[in-house]
Formats: sequence, structure tokens, C-alpha cells
Amino acid sequence: MSINDSTTASASSLQTFDDTTARWGRLTMIAGLIISLCGPVYLVFFSGLGVDRALIPVAFLAVAGTFGVLWFVEPVTYFPILGQASMYQAFMIGNISNKLLPAALMGQTTVGAKPGTRRGELAAIMAIGGAVVVHLLSLLIFVGIFGTWLLNIIPSDLIEVLQTFILPTVLGAVLVQAIVSQKQPRTTVIALVIASAVVFVLIPALPQLTFFATVIVVFGTVAAAWFFRSRTAENTQHEDVT
Amino acid sequence: MLPFALSASSSTDILDVANMPILWVLALGVFAVIIVQTFLYVRAAKRVAPTVGMTSGELNTAFRTGAVASLGPSLAVALVAVALLAVFGTPATLTRIGLIGSVQFETGAAAIAAGTMDAELGGPTYTQEVFAVAFLAMSLGGAMWILSTLILTPVLKRGDAKVKRVNPAVITVIPGAALLGAFFALGFAELPKSGYHVIAFVSAALASAIFLALSKALKMPWIREWSLGFAILIGIGVTYVSVSAGLFPAA
Repeated sequence: MSINDSTTASASSLQTFDDTTARWGRLTMIAGLIISLCGPVYLVFFSGLGVDRALIPVAFLAVAGTFGVLWFVEPVTYFPILGQASMYQAFMIGNISNKLLPAALMGQTTVGAKPGTRRGELAAIMAIGGAVVVHLLSLLIFVGIFGTWLLNIIPSDLIEVLQTFILPTVLGAVLVQAIVSQKQPRTTVIALVIASAVVFVLIPALPQLTFFATVIVVFGTVAAAWFFRSRTAENTQHEDVT
Repeated sequence: MLPFALSASSSTDILDVANMPILWVLALGVFAVIIVQTFLYVRAAKRVAPTVGMTSGELNTAFRTGAVASLGPSLAVALVAVALLAVFGTPATLTRIGLIGSVQFETGAAAIAAGTMDAELGGPTYTQEVFAVAFLAMSLGGAMWILSTLILTPVLKRGDAKVKRVNPAVITVIPGAALLGAFFALGFAELPKSGYHVIAFVSAALASAIFLALSKALKMPWIREWSLGFAILIGIGVTYVSVSAGLFPAA
């Protein structure tokens, strides 16, 4: 087989992979969207509760006013990390920053794959798959089956601590993992400086930008890392601080 | 078709409507869709793996690492979901908190929606009507994330492919920078909230660093795989102790 043939073959199997994950990712996502709306739609319109329908747009607009920005900002923010296929996994399952992104990062690190590469893409898909299985099982067992019983035996102050502090805890642990696994000291310093400036200076001065904080830092870091990239290391995986 | 007569919508017996069998069926339907998606994705990944030079051993390692890494967060989400059962009932909690969404958004959205009806989640103003509207409002909010992902992903993919053709070096710079930027921003945003948030963040970060160093020093890769879970456990433990000790005034 000539080199040309094998290149064509691998290109076409990659194309098949992209097409398969995009098609099924979208179809399953649309199915999830429809099924998840059926329940509340049934309750409001067909269950005989006699809900005042005028309340719905008001409630929806109030939610949109608070969170609407995130609907557009989050997909744009996470795309460079997740890639096409994992986008359809992550945004259907939710819990992205506290569970799926850390899982993807750990999976990539363990097999030595970089985000943005094909190996990284596959590692992320598998890692998110593993996370999904644990996620579904834990929900089914602890919430679906034993939930009502657990509600009565877990001390409420423990649940309160978990609810309030699980996010900073996960993010503290993951940030260290991210810094170590990426091995990019220059980009780490850039991200540290930009995140500090945005979170501790810009947002307190302009609180209306709160929901834009992450996207400003992500794109600021990307732009600065690109501008200050080590040009001698353009074709290698690692970046030196020379 | 209904197994029981529905009372007037001003009743505050939320669980009477929230645990209706049809809602259970739909919650399990979402479970099924996610299982199907995961199965199809894993199969597609296994088929293409040899092309990118990945062994099936590596794929399995990534799967297992992802599962292990998500143990801590999964347990935490499940326990928080348990706490919300009394407010949303089991099917809505499973669907919203567990499957398509996050605790922060869903509880926030439900509280905001209830607020537009001069009601609060739980308590005497939380009627069946308020529950139904809040449930729909948070589901529509979650649907918007999905909708914008469906619309934006192909657009972003085209832009991404174009940029990579122009300069392949972006692959080595941009995803890593985006990842680091995202975790610095998300993590730092927690710090100004309270002294306990700082304790939670710093203790988990330190524990994470110690486990990574241990893994390297002892040449035991399994410690690295479990380091995230251990660090989360330690971080929560330290935070729980310092909250119980009342380290800061007014938690």
C-alpha cells in the first residue's frame, strides 16, 4: 500500500468518525431536549392543574434575564477544549465545569494526549463516557432508589456544606491537575495574570460583566498565549520557557 | 389515565404532582437517551482509534480514569440532589439536576421563576401551580443551552477547521490555553465569596498537588488517577471542620 493510500484511508475513517459522532450526537441531543420538555409541558397544559398560562413567559423571561448570556457564552467558551463530538455529550449531560471537564482532563493526562489533538478528542470521549456511567449509576442508586431514605438520615449541615462548597473544592483540585498536565509554564502564568485581573479587578468594578468573566479570561488567555507563543517550538508539543 | 384525582392547583402538596408516574417514565427516557449516546460514542471511538495510533488499552484507561475522576463530583451532586427531593420530587430532580443541567442553574432558575409569582420554593406560597411553572421555566432554560449548542457547534467546527488549515500551530497553543484560562477563571471566581470558599479551594489544591507529587515520587500512577477524588474528599472534610468550628463570623 502506498503512503498516499493509507493517508486517504485514515482521512476517510476520521471523516466517518466526525460524521457519526456529529449525527448521533445531534440526534440524541434533540431526543433529550424533547423528552426533558415533555414532563413540564404535560404538567402545565394537560394535567388538569389549571395553570395560568400567562405566568410562563414572565417566568421564562426572568430566567433568561439572569442566565440567558450563558446559553451562548458557554458553548463558545468550551468548544476549543471539548471539540465537536464531546460538545454534544457535555451540553446534554450538564455539570460541565465540576464533572465532565475534570474527567476529560484526567483521561487525557493519563494516556498522555493533548486537548485539541485527535488523541485528545478520543481520550475525552472515553473519559466523559466513564464519567457518564458513574454519574447515572450514582443518581439511580442514591437519588432514585435510596433518595427519600437518605434525605432523613444525612445530617442537613453536611448537605449544606456540600452544596455551598463543592464547586470551590473541585475547582481547586482540578486547577492543580490542569497546570501539571498541560506543562505550559508560560501559558499558566498568562492565565493566572489574566484571571486575577478579570476576577479581582474588572468584575468588582463592573459587576454587570459577571457572567462574561470566564469567556473574557478564556479568550484573553488564548490571544495572549498565541501572541507570546514560543516560535521556536512551533512544531513540538511542549513549550519551553527559554 | 391518572391514578389519582388531582387536587386544585393551589394545593401545596407538591409531591402529589411531582412524583406522577409519567414524570418517572420521562426521567428514565432521558437516562436511556444518554446511555444510547454514550454507547454510540464509545463504539465510534473504538473504530477510529487505530487510525490515530491509540490502542484499545489506552481507550479503556481513559474510560476508567474518567469514571474514577467523576466519583467525587458524582457523589456530591447526588447528595445535593437528595436535598432537593422535597422541593422538586424525584423525577424532576433526576432530570434537571442530574441529567441535563446543574444544581446552580436549576435551583437558581426555579427560585427566580417562583419569584415572578410572588412565591418561594418550599413553604406556604409554593403551590402545585408554582411548581409546574417553575419546572417548565427551568426546563426551557436548560433547553436553550442545548439549542444554542446544536446551532453553534457546527459553526464553531467550521471556523476551527479553517483556522487549523491556516496555521497548524494553533492546536498546540489554543486548547491548552483555553483550558487553563477556564479553570483559573472558574476557580478564582469562587474566592471572593467567603473565607470558607478560600479554605475549600486552597486545601483541595494543596491535597491535589501532594497526591501528584506522591504519585511521581513513589512511581505509582494509580495515585494520580485517584488524586482528584482524594483531594475533593480532603477539601470538603477540611471545609466541613472549619465551618463547624465557626472559623469566620457569619458563614
